[in-house]
Parts: sequence; structure tokens; C-alpha cells
Amino acid sequence: MKKLLQTAAIGVAYAVASVGAQANVHANQVADFYKGKDIELRIGYKPGGGYDNYARLLARHIGKHIPGNPNVIPKNMPGAGSVKLTNYLWEGAPQDGTVIGAISRGAPFEPLLGNSKAKFSADQFTWLGSANNEVSICATVKRTGIKSWTDLKSQTVTTGGNGSGSDTDQFPKLLNAVLGTKFKVVGPYGGGSDIVKGMIAGELDARCGWSWSSIKSKNKELLASGDLVLLMQMSTEKHPDLPNVPLVMDLTKDKESLQILNLMFARQGLGRPYVAPPGVPAKRAKALQDAFMKTMSDPEFLAEAKKGGVNLSPISGERVAELVAAAYKTPKAVIARTIDAIR
Amino acid sequence: MEVSLLDVAFSALGVLMDPERLFYLGFGTLIGLALGIMPGVGGVAGLALLLPFTFNLDAYSAFAFMLGLGAVTSTSDTIPAVLFGVPGTSASQATVLDGHSMAKNGEAGRALSAAYAASLIGGLWGAFLLGLTIPVLRPILMAINSPELLAFSIFGISMVSALSGSMPLRGLTMAGLGILLSMVGGDPTTGQDRWTLDTLYLLDDLPLLPVALGLFALPEICDVAARRTAISETSKHNLKDGMVAGLKDVLENWWLVAKCGSLGAMIGAIPGLGSAVVDWIAYGYAAKTCKGAEKTFGKGDVRGVIAPESANNAKEGGSLVPTIAFGVPGSASMALLLGGFMIHGLEPGKSMVTTNLEVTYAMVWSIALANILGAGLCFAFSGQFAKIATLRYTLVIPGVICIMMVGAYQASADWGDLATLLIFGSVGWVMKHLRWPRPPLILGFVLGGIIEDYMRISYQLYEWSWMLKPICFVMLSLAAISLFQPLFKKIFFKKDGAQLLKFSPAVFKNVDFFPIAVITLLLWTLWQTFSWDFESQGAPQVIVLVTLACVVTTFVLTIFNRPVNQTVNDEDGVLDLAVDLGKIGRAAYNIRVLEFFGWLVGFIAVWAFGGILLSAIAFVIGYMRFRGRESWKATLIYMMAITGLIYFVFDQGFHITWPVTVLGTYFPILHDVIPTM
Repeated sequence: MKKLLQTAAIGVAYAVASVGAQANVHANQVADFYKGKDIELRIGYKPGGGYDNYARLLARHIGKHIPGNPNVIPKNMPGAGSVKLTNYLWEGAPQDGTVIGAISRGAPFEPLLGNSKAKFSADQFTWLGSANNEVSICATVKRTGIKSWTDLKSQTVTTGGNGSGSDTDQFPKLLNAVLGTKFKVVGPYGGGSDIVKGMIAGELDARCGWSWSSIKSKNKELLASGDLVLLMQMSTEKHPDLPNVPLVMDLTKDKESLQILNLMFARQGLGRPYVAPPGVPAKRAKALQDAFMKTMSDPEFLAEAKKGGVNLSPISGERVAELVAAAYKTPKAVIARTIDAIR
Repeated sequence: MEVSLLDVAFSALGVLMDPERLFYLGFGTLIGLALGIMPGVGGVAGLALLLPFTFNLDAYSAFAFMLGLGAVTSTSDTIPAVLFGVPGTSASQATVLDGHSMAKNGEAGRALSAAYAASLIGGLWGAFLLGLTIPVLRPILMAINSPELLAFSIFGISMVSALSGSMPLRGLTMAGLGILLSMVGGDPTTGQDRWTLDTLYLLDDLPLLPVALGLFALPEICDVAARRTAISETSKHNLKDGMVAGLKDVLENWWLVAKCGSLGAMIGAIPGLGSAVVDWIAYGYAAKTCKGAEKTFGKGDVRGVIAPESANNAKEGGSLVPTIAFGVPGSASMALLLGGFMIHGLEPGKSMVTTNLEVTYAMVWSIALANILGAGLCFAFSGQFAKIATLRYTLVIPGVICIMMVGAYQASADWGDLATLLIFGSVGWVMKHLRWPRPPLILGFVLGGIIEDYMRISYQLYEWSWMLKPICFVMLSLAAISLFQPLFKKIFFKKDGAQLLKFSPAVFKNVDFFPIAVITLLLWTLWQTFSWDFESQGAPQVIVLVTLACVVTTFVLTIFNRPVNQTVNDEDGVLDLAVDLGKIGRAAYNIRVLEFFGWLVGFIAVWAFGGILLSAIAFVIGYMRFRGRESWKATLIYMMAITGLIYFVFDQGFHITWPVTVLGTYFPILHDVIPTM
């Protein structure tokens, strides 16, 4: 019996060791490939915005977590709200793991929602992860007298939009169609902050499509003054900061409505997504995905993020892939209704 | 209250006087000057790159660095504008008209020194206005909403009349075309593709830089290449006299500086306007109000340099206003500055004018000090820079072209940028030589998009009653006067006004191809709109029809008004650079221009084949050796300098996303080894 145990122990130890060694060989192959190489982190926007900021922060830290420690160089490739970059990653970029991308949270769903310029199928990308769950807020100011989201069904409210295809334009329209709210979208405003200024100055009543993380970092004053009334949060799950603000998914029981809301708001969960082209060799893809998650708990990275007011609630590449795949399984009729609603 | 405010203002200066903070201010200023000289590389790219370095600085140093960098790009951008006719940033486009004319007349030193002095005083004045209005910023901005911003923008576009010289209809035609250009891309409300030719490139708005470089810079370079002489053959002053003359000019025109400085600060405070049009509006204002301007502007009048230069430095102070007060960035570089706010735990809004007032005043001082330092440095070297204008053309053109190509490409890292540059380059050259005014096109292009957006917002909120809001009413009335006065003057009050209605038999000339081409283009754009969804058709169709009416009218008036035995008097009265063919005949001259265009197309072809470094090497060697017979030694040194600049600054520094090349695609190993391939 003792001998048997010994043999078993040796066997287990051997098995563990060989798995370890194999893993080592994998890591070595990947390290050999990346050693001395550059990885391009392409950013689908011009310098200066949120996506650019997150991506440059990631680029400064992820290299040390990838076997072989390649240089990670951020490069801007703006165009069509990052659809240009996503097209490039789909067809054109090398698929060897030397090019990765920072695209918008909405881009993966563009082909579903009828954008004929988006020539990719996002469920086939190599997803590396997302840095933040961007719960989006619908808010108004005290002056309007609106106290809860149910008031939106009886009172017409002007809300600022940033133009066709933007969250601030699509979200209120979708809510009108699904929940029966009476938003009147006014726009196109140049940026989100222009809308907020309009609310403060009395030109607008509401902004619907406003990252909670952005409110926290840029509009502390407004939030603290008590002038801001948070009407609902839009994502598939509640934000831990906001247990008392109703979640859009809880506001209807209708099955098809819920499917529409899910199709539209699943993107919030993958708020700051990173992606590699389809067909990246499995070991390198795994190494990049692991490096992404390791970076998200790297103390130096966290310190810099905190300093820059960058919010983090990362999810893995696997989880992003699941969210995207689920959206791609939405029934055609639901997709058609969604497209109709946001037009 | 007054005293305590002053106290804070001066204690902020004390805070900034720390050696380390001054060091960062100086460092930022130097980088800003360097970025301003290179066309296409503005402060925004530099700021994005350097932002991480400011993370570990204290707030005062960080803002000193960032504001120093942003404040002086519009000081040094004058250098290429005056010397080569190539605006260093979009804020010095208007400086080209008179600044470059002065350089051609041998007055480069005077133009540069006047520009720096105007920049300095304008910048300080802008900072002073900002410092003065800080306590009342928020209340003022609360009263300025979308309808008011719309009215300001409409007033801006009414400057078209001042920028069209004595040809209001040609100016309006061009402004209309500019507005139509601004509409290319997705309709902001309906998402309808407008004239995108089914490309992703045109789906986003056309970038300003390749358009501006094409319209103004390329034609100047083409003409230098065709004349095959130095930019300036003569030198009117010796170094010192020229610089003193420039200084004197500014002091004599101090009232113009103050007015244009205030104008610049105001325009800077309007989000979306800023550097793209501030110079044109100031130039237009000066052209309208300065005595005798219609005869001298565009031909080397120093006031045409002073006006835009004092305005474009003042705008930086202005653009801080909405940024500080509401977190609405007044410009792209201000958006980056906002990132800096967060890093240092500051929040735009009330606190910036109360608890954090000292930081705000330190920002004002940073702008002021950077302007002094920037103008001082430029001034010290302006004599040396002025000598560049007397260099042989084969020594000037290769460098300017290489940097301009990269600069234009940088706008959106797309071949489309280079196509835009070349297309607008040819159009700009034709316009310059046929005397169709170019500034209205740019003004319409920049303001068109803003007006469209604010118009939609204002109409949705107030329908037409927005026009009756007090500020709007005043601005719109001013705009109407500014726009229509010259038109009426021309029709009713001109001495030979009666001639306009006297028709002689139609006479056609070769130059008529241009209006005919414009008419054809407009008809095509109109035809395209019919396939759009109904809501998206209205506004573009109105603009097309109005533009069409303008161009057809001016065309008809021209052909029926040509005295058969006289030369066409289309040549006079346009606010633009004079055309100088040198001693060459028109036909030979045009062939030379075509040849140079061939060089440019070749440049891009080699780039597509093997990368920018290869094309830069080929162009420098080709142009200097085979066009210019420069020595091998000079050619090689020049080549190393240019390729070094492209490699170290643009490739390694800015990490520009280079396009895919033929060689790099078929021989991936080359792509890995050779940069930019």
C-alpha cells in the first residue's frame, strides 16, 4: 500500500513536471518568436480620447507580461469610429500576433446592426480582453422636476445626442421604442461634455449614454452638488456603486424587449476591448490573453491607472468572446426591430 | 474681491517662478516651436506623445509644459508660411498671403520680425483677457449656447465677402463649394453617406490639413519649381534693418494688434472654431477695415501678417475658457490638457475659479511666459531663417516636399490624405493662376460643418425663433451687412456699375474651363443627392443650388462682358498671391508645372512601392542631381538629414502608422528589416 502510494506520488509528480515542462516549451516557443520583435497596438481613434488613453496605458505595461518581452508600440489608425481598424484586423493585418487592436465597444456589433461598411464577423476574432465594464447612465438635472424613469413615459424630455450612430443618439431612441419613454434627441453635439454643458446652462434636459466612470472622474462637482438625477443604468448587470439606480434590464418583462436590450447593452460589459486578428496561432493568442489579465493586476499598471483617473474592471478574452458570440446568436426578427428602433 | 484676485494672480506667478517649473515651461516651449515649424505636425500629436511624461510632475510643472507646448506652435508656424508659403499649422494659412509675398519681395526678415512681435503681443493680450475674465467665465458661458455659437459662426462665414476682394460672386461660389466639402461624409443626424464615393476615407470628414496644404502650399512650391529660381532674388533690407522695420510696423499698428488679439481670444473660446479659421477671420477683418487694404493686401502688406499672427496666438488663452469653466475642450490640444486635469486631481468647473484659482492663474501665466520665450527665440534666429528664402530652389524643394508629404499623410494615416493633397494642390494652383479666391473655400469648409451642426440643434430646440435671441440678432445683422455690402456696392454704386448690365457678344476663352468644370461638378453633386434618403437631401441641395446660381451668374457676366479687343480684367482685385511667371512664357511655364507634378506623383508611387524612406531618398537624389545638378556631396548630406528626420522623428518618435507597400507585402522579410517598408 505504501509502495503503491509512493508510485502514485512519483507518477503525479512526473505528470505535473512534464506538464510544466511542456508549458515551458510553449512559453519558450512564444518567447523565441516575440524576442526582439515589436507588437503594434493599433488604436482606432485619433490621439487624445478615452480609447487612446486606455490603449497607451496598456501599451506601456503589457510588454513585460508577454513571453520574450516585445516592445509594444501604440499607433493610431483612426476612421469610421474604429470600423476601419476592425476591417483591417479582419483582413489585411498580419495574423502572427504582431498586430493587436483597440477598437470601440460598439464596433463588434456593427455588422449585426446593418452597417454595410463593417466587413467582418466579430465572433471569429481573437479577443484579448476588456479593461472596463462601462455601465452607461441616463441622467437629468433637478430643474426638470423628473424624479424617476417612470416620469419619462409621461413627460417629453430633450436629450443631447452626438450624431448618428453614437450612444447618446441610439440609447434614448431604443428606450423610446422598448420602454415607451418620450425622449426627444437633439443634436449633433460635438462631444459628451458639450451635452453636459447644455444641461447645466439650461439648453437640454438630459444625457442618456454617459459612462458612470466618466461621471465619476470628470463630473464630481455636479454629482456632489445633488443637481444630477440618475434615472437608470444601462448594461446587462448593475454597477456595484449604484445599487439603487434601476437597471434597464429590470424595467421590462417582455422577452423580445429583453433580447433587444441585451443586443444593445451587451457592449457595455466589454467597454474597453482589445482584439487580435482571427487565426493568430493558439499559443501566442493564449500568451497575449494571459498577458492582458496579468497586466490588469500589475501594481505599476494599477498605480498609473489610478493616477490618470482610468477606471478598471477587466474581463478576460474568453468572456468577451462569449458576450460577442451570444449577441451574434440573436434571432433575425429581434435584430430587425433593434435596427428600426435606433434609426 | 478685486485685491484678493490680484493677490492670487501674483502668488500664482510666484509659484511658477520655481526653477524646475520654469525648466518644464521652457522645455515645452522648445518642443512646441519645433513642432510648429514642421507642416502637418501640430501640437496635438506632440502632446499625446508626451502626456505620460507629465504624470510624475507636479500640477504646475505639468500644465506649464503642456501649455508652453501648445501656446507657441502658432509662433513658429510662421517661419515656413513666410519662407515657403507652406503654413506650419492650420493657424498660419492667412499669413501665407502677405507674409510669403513679402518674402518674395525680399522682405522675409521684416515679415518674420513683425509676425513674432504680433504673436507676442497677441499672445500676451489673449492671456491678459483670460486673466481678467476668469471670475465671470461661467456666467458668460452660461449665456452662450448653441444658437449664439451658430450666430458667431455665421458671422465668421460672412468674412467671405472681405476675403473675395472685388469678386463677391466668385468668393460666394468658393464658399459654397467649401460648405459642400464639409458635408462630404456621413450625415450627422441620419447617417446617410454623402458623396463618399463608397470609401471609408470619405466617410469621416475630410481632414483640414491636406486640404489647406494642397490649396495654399503646393501651388507655391509648384511655382518655385517652375520659375527655377530662389524664392527671393532680392533682399530689400540688411538683416538688422529688416527686423527693426518689422518691430516698428507692429508698434505703428498697435490698435490692429489689440483688435485682432481680442478677436482671436473670442474665436478661440468657441469650441470647434479655433486655429482652423482664426487667422482667416482676422485677415478678413483687417482686409475690410485697414485703409487701402484692397490695393495692397495679398501683395506683401505687413498688416496682412500682423492681423492673423496677433489673433492666432491670442486664441490659446481663449480656448482655455470653455475648458476651464465647463470641461468643454476649445480645441484638440485642450482635450489632451483635460486628461492632465484628471491626473492632477483637478476638475473643470466652479472649483477652477474658486478653490483652485491659483492653478488657473498659473495656467494664464504659463501661456504668457511661453509666448515671451517663444517669440524671443524666434526673433533671435529670424535673421538666419530669412536667409533660407535666398537659397537655390533645388536646396529648398526636396526637404519641404518630403516633410509636407509626411505631414499631410499624418492627418489620418491613409493614402486618401495624399490624394487629397494632390487634388487640392492642382485645384489650388488653377485657382491661384485664374484668380479665383481660395480663402473663402477654406472658410466655408471649416465653418460649414459647425454651422450645419449648430443649425440642426438650434432648429430642433427653438425652430426659427433662435434668430430673435438678442446676441443672435445682433450677430446675424452684422453678418448680413458684412456679406451683402460689397455685393450691392459692386452692382449699384460702382462708377462703371452700369457696364455690368451692358452686354457685348459672348466671348469664350480657355480659362472658362474652370467655371464650366465647377458647374459640371455641382450638377453631379446635385444628381447624387437624389438617391439619398429624403431627410438628408434638403440642406445639401439648397447649398448646391445657391452655389450654382453664383457660379452661373459670374460666368455669364464674364463672357458677355469681355471687350473683344481688351485683355481680360479678371486679373485684378483678388486677395491672393500675385502670379509671377518670371521670364518664361505661359506655355513653357505650364509644362514645367506639369513636370513638377510628375515628380510628386512619382514620389507617391515610389512610396507605395517601397516605403517613405525609399521615396525620400529617390526624390532627394533625383531632384537634386538630375533637376538641379547639385554636387554629390551636398546631395548625400541632404539625403541623410531628411531620411534621419523621417526615421527618428516620424517613425521612432511619433510612431506613424505607415501604409502597406508592394515590396513589404511580397517580401515580408524586407518589411521586418527596413523601416517604413
